[in-house]
Amino acid sequence: MTPENFFLLATLLFSIGLVGVVSRRNLFVVYMSIELMLSAINLVLATFSRLHNSMDGAVIVLLMIAVIAAEAALFLAMIVHLYRQRRSIDSDVYTALAQKKEHL
Amino acid sequence: MLENSIFVILALFLLLGSAGMVIFKQTLFSAISFMLAMLALAGMFALLENSFLFLAQIMVTVGAVVVLSMLVIVSINIQERNLPVENTKFQWIALSTLLVTPLAILIYKSLTHLHVSFEQSEPGYGSLKMMGATLFSEWVLPFEIVSILLLAAMVGAIVIGRKERHHDT
Amino acid sequence: MSTLVFIVLIPFVSAFVLGMVYLFDVKKERYCFYAALGILAPMLSSVLALNVGWQVSALETDAVVHATFFKWITLGSFNIDVAFMADRLSVVMLSFITVIGTLIHIYAAGYMRGEAGFGKFFSYFNLFMGSMLLLVLADNPIIMFVGWELVGLSSYLLIGFYHHDSANIKAANKAFMLNRVGDFGFIIALALLFITLEGSGYSFASIEAHIGLIDHSMLTLIGMLLFVGAMGKSAQIPLYVWLPDAMAGPTPVSALIHAGTMVTAGVYMVARFSFLYNEIPDVGEYIAIIGAFSALFAAVIASYQSDIKKILAYSTMSQLGYMFIAVGLGAYSSGIFHVFTHAFFKALLFMGAGAVIIALHHEQNIFKMGGLKKELKLVYATMLIATLAISGIPPFAGFFSKDAILAAAFASEHYSIWIAATLTAMLTAFYMFRMLFIVFFANAERKNDLLPLTKMMTWPLIVLALGSATAGFLGLNEAYGGSNWFGGFIDLPDQSRHLSHSSEYMLGILNVLMAVIGTALAYRFYVKSAIEPKTDTLWRHAVIHKFYIDELYDLLVVRPLRYLSVLSDKLIDQKGVDGILGVLVSGYKFSGGLFTRLQNGKVRYYALYILAGVALLSLKILDVLGGI
Repeated sequence: MTPENFFLLATLLFSIGLVGVVSRRNLFVVYMSIELMLSAINLVLATFSRLHNSMDGAVIVLLMIAVIAAEAALFLAMIVHLYRQRRSIDSDVYTALAQKKEHL
Repeated sequence: MLENSIFVILALFLLLGSAGMVIFKQTLFSAISFMLAMLALAGMFALLENSFLFLAQIMVTVGAVVVLSMLVIVSINIQERNLPVENTKFQWIALSTLLVTPLAILIYKSLTHLHVSFEQSEPGYGSLKMMGATLFSEWVLPFEIVSILLLAAMVGAIVIGRKERHHDT
Repeated sequence: MSTLVFIVLIPFVSAFVLGMVYLFDVKKERYCFYAALGILAPMLSSVLALNVGWQVSALETDAVVHATFFKWITLGSFNIDVAFMADRLSVVMLSFITVIGTLIHIYAAGYMRGEAGFGKFFSYFNLFMGSMLLLVLADNPIIMFVGWELVGLSSYLLIGFYHHDSANIKAANKAFMLNRVGDFGFIIALALLFITLEGSGYSFASIEAHIGLIDHSMLTLIGMLLFVGAMGKSAQIPLYVWLPDAMAGPTPVSALIHAGTMVTAGVYMVARFSFLYNEIPDVGEYIAIIGAFSALFAAVIASYQSDIKKILAYSTMSQLGYMFIAVGLGAYSSGIFHVFTHAFFKALLFMGAGAVIIALHHEQNIFKMGGLKKELKLVYATMLIATLAISGIPPFAGFFSKDAILAAAFASEHYSIWIAATLTAMLTAFYMFRMLFIVFFANAERKNDLLPLTKMMTWPLIVLALGSATAGFLGLNEAYGGSNWFGGFIDLPDQSRHLSHSSEYMLGILNVLMAVIGTALAYRFYVKSAIEPKTDTLWRHAVIHKFYIDELYDLLVVRPLRYLSVLSDKLIDQKGVDGILGVLVSGYKFSGGLFTRLQNGKVRYYALYILAGVALLSLKILDVLGGI
């Protein structure tokens, strides 16, 4: 249970989260991967807090958790809204900002 | 010894949960794996002698966030046939894993640069009392701002989430 | 500023002013203003010219009056100033150009009355005067060439004056293009001259001083190329085909440009370069042969023409041939003397023809004229004098100048040239009197009444008639009792040839005889009845169609060029250049299309691109930090 182990764990979590954001089309999975990345950061902060023997890091983690909750609300509201528009939770369906094919 | 084995088990759950979340096709399965990962993370916080965070993680992240997302998943009630078609899922995962590796190495290197180790923690570390003392002395301003943020998020969620009104009635 | 500068500048300024006023004139009816300004400029120039002439003749024989206007090009040792010089030769040319020019301007004011573009006409006419004066007064070959080109330009503008008819435009283009072909040779000659004389200045005086520096073969080349320029400008074979077509311009234009002044610029140029041509008598002989051939050729064609102006055009070409015979054989004074007398009677002939054309409502076919002797008395009288002059009947001017030329040809022992020239003399008399008889004597077939002619048109005729009658006496040579004042005055380095007085008398009598024979033949055939020659025999067919030279040029030159242009357009331009551009464009479009695919609007892909960038960056940082 050395700090290095915790850091390794956090790094792995962050990487898995990043992989999830990039690879999946399902909006929920994208959302949860983002949460995962944030949680990895929380772990790092908690470890540092323990290393420095003060509660500063933990306070930040607490505030982060609050922010995560707020973000969750918004993200899920967005998904609901999008689902109402297009009846799909596939991120590849929403391409309004794409380059239109030219008609020659 | 005991700590180490608990650590290993919790780490295993954490990794399995997050891996499963990324891999499962059914949304609800992903959500349940995510919940597992978050619970394991709470255990990690406990191992770090931070009892308050252990509580907060379970109450907020697992109890509110994950539950809320499960609620939305279930209420949308998307059928299996309407799920996104992800034939190339594993190819994408492989490619992104490859691309993530340098970043991960970099992060790990910078984090472990200092080679410190855990010392004996002072008594009362991680307790609610110590958390409150720090929170309401040095960290009051961020605390207040976060509360405003929560208010804004609430309003935003309501506005985004409400049904469209038809203008011709 | 010196008088010489003013002489050249006044017509240019007047042309500019006339042009500006004409441009902004709305109704374009200020005939009085245009005519007044248009006539004033050459009149002023002629007064100044005569002044300069007086000055120069008071000085000794080889004195030269110089005047520099401004420095034009200075590149190290290559200095070209816009400078003028007046020596005896320039003064002679100057005198008749300005005086006859003024008379023709007055005539033109009457001829062009009521025409559209009256102001424009005088602007161009003054431009021409200025250019010709620039040419004649130039101090160095480059400025002379500037004048040469400007004269060509004015000729183009004036030939195409009636621009609504596209045939006139074609004639103007033809004149300009053939001029250009000649100028090509001229430019090369000037360049060669400059290269071989590098560093020792570039005015006529300095070239003359250093002429020994150039070796003989180079001199021959330069002389030939200069003559190519003269061939184009003075309408000798083979670059003559523009002159008959140039008759499409108004008659005053033909009178001034294509009779007296522009076409004689070639002769002037050879005379100006007399120091050069004296070194290369072979080239001179070649020039004389071309002159003789042109003279005979033109005379034959003129004998069958029906258009009054075309007859005069071929006549001009023929007389120019005479002038080139003279300067080719080294008798520069005789050549310039013939230029001088020719200006008088040819201008008079053209102006008289113009008067007849106007009187008959713009009719130009002589076979539709006739019997005008009674009704156009003044025109008849003056044209009779001019015809007598050109035919070489003493005591009128043409006899003396032509006689001098034929004497030089005989004395140079190039008997083929002499025979050709003598035959041409007979033909000259023949076709000129043919024209006179058909227009003024033969039966009238006209239907319309005659238009009256204004005084502005008739008075210049009288002045020129006087000149044609008397100018010959200026060059009276010793055999006839005179002292050849003209030759002595002009002091050109003639080849000295001696001819005994008895030979002179014999030649003189022979010439008169030839002229009389020609006149008699014309009288016999054409006094009573005038019938247009039909194209029945092969000979007639060939001559009336001017030996099909125009058609030949069209086949040999025009068509290949046109084919080449079309080829360039279709093949090289459209397929080649546009094709390459098309390939480039589609290449760009293709690569653009490739980049378009990157922006497909899917968030996943964008996240992937970000990740890829981050990965690269991390690799780089890891590399810097020293490995994994």
